[in-house]
Amino acid sequence: MDNMKLAKEKVGDFLAKLGKERFRVPQETGGSSRFAPLNGESSVDFTLSNTTVPLKSLFYPQTETLYRYEVGETAMKAPGEADEMIIMGVRPCDAKALTIVDRLFSWDPKDPYYLGRREKATIIGLACQEPRVNCFCTSLGGGPASTEGLDILMTDLGESFLFQPLTEKGEKICQEAGDVLVKSEDSDVQAAEKVHKDAASKIVRKIDSEGIPEKLPQLWDSQIWKKTSEPCLGCGACTFLCPTCHCFDIQDEIEGLEGRRYRVWDSCMFKEYTLHTSGHNPRPTRRERTRNRINHKYSYFVDKFGVIACVGCGRCINLCPVNVDILNILSQVKEAL
Amino acid sequence: MKENPYQPYVATIEDTWYETVGDRAVKTFKVTLDDPEARKNWSHRPGQCAMVGRLGIGESMFCISCSPTEGDFLRFSVMRAGKNTQGLHEQEVGDKITVRGPYGNSFPLEDWKGKHILTIGGGIGQAPLRPIVEYVKANLDQYAGLTMIYGARTSGDLCFRNEFEEMMKRDDISCHLTIDIEEEGWPYKVGFVPSVLMEVNPSPENTIAITCGPPIMIRFVLENLKKLNFADEQIYTTLENRMKCGFGKCGRCNAGNLYVCKDGPVFSYSTLKNVPEAFA
Amino acid sequence: MADLEKLRAVAKETVSRDDVKYLIGWRQGTYGFRVSPHFITEPEEADKLIFSPLCSNNLATYLTLVEKLPVPRGQEPDTRKIALMVKGCDSRAVVQQLVEQGIKRESVIIIGCPCQGVVDLAKVEEKFPAVLEQVEARWDDGKIVFKLSEGEKAVPREEVLADKCLRCRYPNPVTADTLLWEKVEAESNDEYADVGELEGKAPEERWSFWEAYFSSCIRCYSCRNVCPMCYCEDCILDRLNPTWVNRSNNISENTAFHLARAFHLAGRCIECGECERVCPVNIPLMKLNRKLTKEVREKFEYEPGTDPDSKPLQASYRPNDQENFIL
Repeated sequence: MDNMKLAKEKVGDFLAKLGKERFRVPQETGGSSRFAPLNGESSVDFTLSNTTVPLKSLFYPQTETLYRYEVGETAMKAPGEADEMIIMGVRPCDAKALTIVDRLFSWDPKDPYYLGRREKATIIGLACQEPRVNCFCTSLGGGPASTEGLDILMTDLGESFLFQPLTEKGEKICQEAGDVLVKSEDSDVQAAEKVHKDAASKIVRKIDSEGIPEKLPQLWDSQIWKKTSEPCLGCGACTFLCPTCHCFDIQDEIEGLEGRRYRVWDSCMFKEYTLHTSGHNPRPTRRERTRNRINHKYSYFVDKFGVIACVGCGRCINLCPVNVDILNILSQVKEAL
Repeated sequence: MKENPYQPYVATIEDTWYETVGDRAVKTFKVTLDDPEARKNWSHRPGQCAMVGRLGIGESMFCISCSPTEGDFLRFSVMRAGKNTQGLHEQEVGDKITVRGPYGNSFPLEDWKGKHILTIGGGIGQAPLRPIVEYVKANLDQYAGLTMIYGARTSGDLCFRNEFEEMMKRDDISCHLTIDIEEEGWPYKVGFVPSVLMEVNPSPENTIAITCGPPIMIRFVLENLKKLNFADEQIYTTLENRMKCGFGKCGRCNAGNLYVCKDGPVFSYSTLKNVPEAFA
Repeated sequence: MADLEKLRAVAKETVSRDDVKYLIGWRQGTYGFRVSPHFITEPEEADKLIFSPLCSNNLATYLTLVEKLPVPRGQEPDTRKIALMVKGCDSRAVVQQLVEQGIKRESVIIIGCPCQGVVDLAKVEEKFPAVLEQVEARWDDGKIVFKLSEGEKAVPREEVLADKCLRCRYPNPVTADTLLWEKVEAESNDEYADVGELEGKAPEERWSFWEAYFSSCIRCYSCRNVCPMCYCEDCILDRLNPTWVNRSNNISENTAFHLARAFHLAGRCIECGECERVCPVNIPLMKLNRKLTKEVREKFEYEPGTDPDSKPLQASYRPNDQENFIL
């Protein structure tokens, strides 16, 4: 299909034409941002940089009911089918992260909740123009205009957005939009390419991951883990806000006469995460937990699923209250290898 | 397993009894799945686990402590320790619980045919070994022999004591019970499991040793098995870690790059010796 | 005036002592304006210690955050002291921990750093966005000077300092074994204007204010973990048996969490502002804590962490204590 163009003043028409209720867009609530349904207003602010809470929260919400039951009864009722979603304004790193998490949730047995939503979602990405200081997507096979995990790549050309459909789902959206979109010129694509190149050149932080997955576990007893975990508070900011972190807890909860079993994000940085009921903890301190976090992303996940579970979005660095910096840890790892 | 792997089967408690008493009592439950179709389709192998729980309280992972050779039911031996186990202990005959699984790999008992089987257990760690014992007992003519070493802190902490005492009467099985500290009237061995292992002095020839118990016991049993010239490939154990899903999604049960729920829980020492976290 | 030579010399001398396990100070972070807590055991590591307007972290939290592993049989517990660098506000945390007997006086060495205020990183990064190089900063006569590669930039302190510093009444350590340099002057009195502003709103308005924030809470517990006064070994938020606060994330549970924490800090919060600083979703938690601080101050004339010889508010009773809040 041809590349298309959406004039900025027609964004409202585009949303209306496809049905506003289908859209999920970056929104600010309180002091942070995340993807949420469009709320009333006709347009969307695409100038927000990457959302505080990553895209994963739409596919794998922090709290998710697995099934409900009535107290004293044994019949269990799973929630209905997922809603159809058109997610607009997704940064390429977050979309790439989904393709990583897909591998885990598709691992036998498949996860019906996550995959149900994945199937029914169309993702319209927005190429980054102003990468942040801690972005390092280019080190992990991504980039400000990476298309992995996207159905359409959108690029801001000033007066309009270039729409590059990448999948059948993406083409379908472009067709549905009808004459709200217009065909783009060759010059638009060239302009977009320049935007992409300029953005990539602004990414400064880097890590050469060569050799890390194979050799990282050999540094088991290295001082790196003690030194880098010393300031760690053991909070869940780095993991909860990581687009590839996927660990969860399962709990039961009763309200009135209705009960539910639900899953809720959990963090390998919490001490309860691995705590045995006996009181024994195989990862008793933040040193072991930090070592596991890095090993899981850069070695164990690669071992199981053939890809590093990190996209270089920089959230864990930006949001760590004590400057535990994964790039700093990895560069120490490289030196020690 | 169901199409939605998170959704459990409902099961009814057919029988239940205490193995041990006290703060950390162990209670065994014999349960059957309510749905006849599910009961027909359910098949588990010795060493596998299941998520067992109560709606409204929660679920935890337990090893299935019976062998499929014993019949069309499941057995779980549960030590009272936290919220979920407390909830299970409150359950009596006829009560409903939830079960999902079976999860994980199993002991390669088919491959071990023709070999001598040696189980070395401590405390509640005998529960995952019990299905091996029952399976080998039921097919004893296909194995070179069966030796069991089992110990606990006190005689009151021994699980399955009656079953052991029955087996001690047989001359085709070798069975050694021990407690850590001397007690009046105790007719069997006294001493830690690893020491009793040295005393029993099993030959490594054509033998597979399987051990399960508290981490500290496992560590010394492994040391002593090496002293007895057991090769790494002849030694097996089954690991336990905190789990939530049971099928590789929730993340927490890994020991190094191994997911205990999917790659395990059964591992040979030749695999585990390279995974420092396995014995953490 | 912050004297780095003195600071490092004292640190070297301190970590060289046999009865000191380690010293905690600040070092330049890995990029930009960030600073990281610095744990040192060797004298040569002291050369990386800094003290500047970027040193926001309240290191007192590490006194109670330390993970105590069981002492192996046959070994003696390690009773060596922990040396800690503190600003005025940080010292109040140490004092309050002492008052509550959360730590023992003989187990800490307090190195006091009189402080002219630390920056609010959000304010700084708004002025100087996307700075990757490591930036040093210093106080200079009412200004904060940042050493950037393109040259030094001086900014009036009011524009970049944290709000808590602009109303600070305790810039000097309340207690210290060593004071590194001369004391500085305190700001004028704190009138709790921020709290008053919220108090003036209608209940519905106040609720919609908090609702937006609490509903965006991700329950990462960075506020709890960074808090030097949140050191219960068995926190009600982690407990499952019984479950006080469900782990599900929704407005009801999240509100229960934040209110429980605020009430548990009543008469204990020393206003270091760390909870608000570390929150990844920017919940203005100090507005909540300061409401209770204000109540405690007005009703009981009590200010936590200011007197090592005092008793905890909730463990003390005076006949003239107000009772009009009891229904």
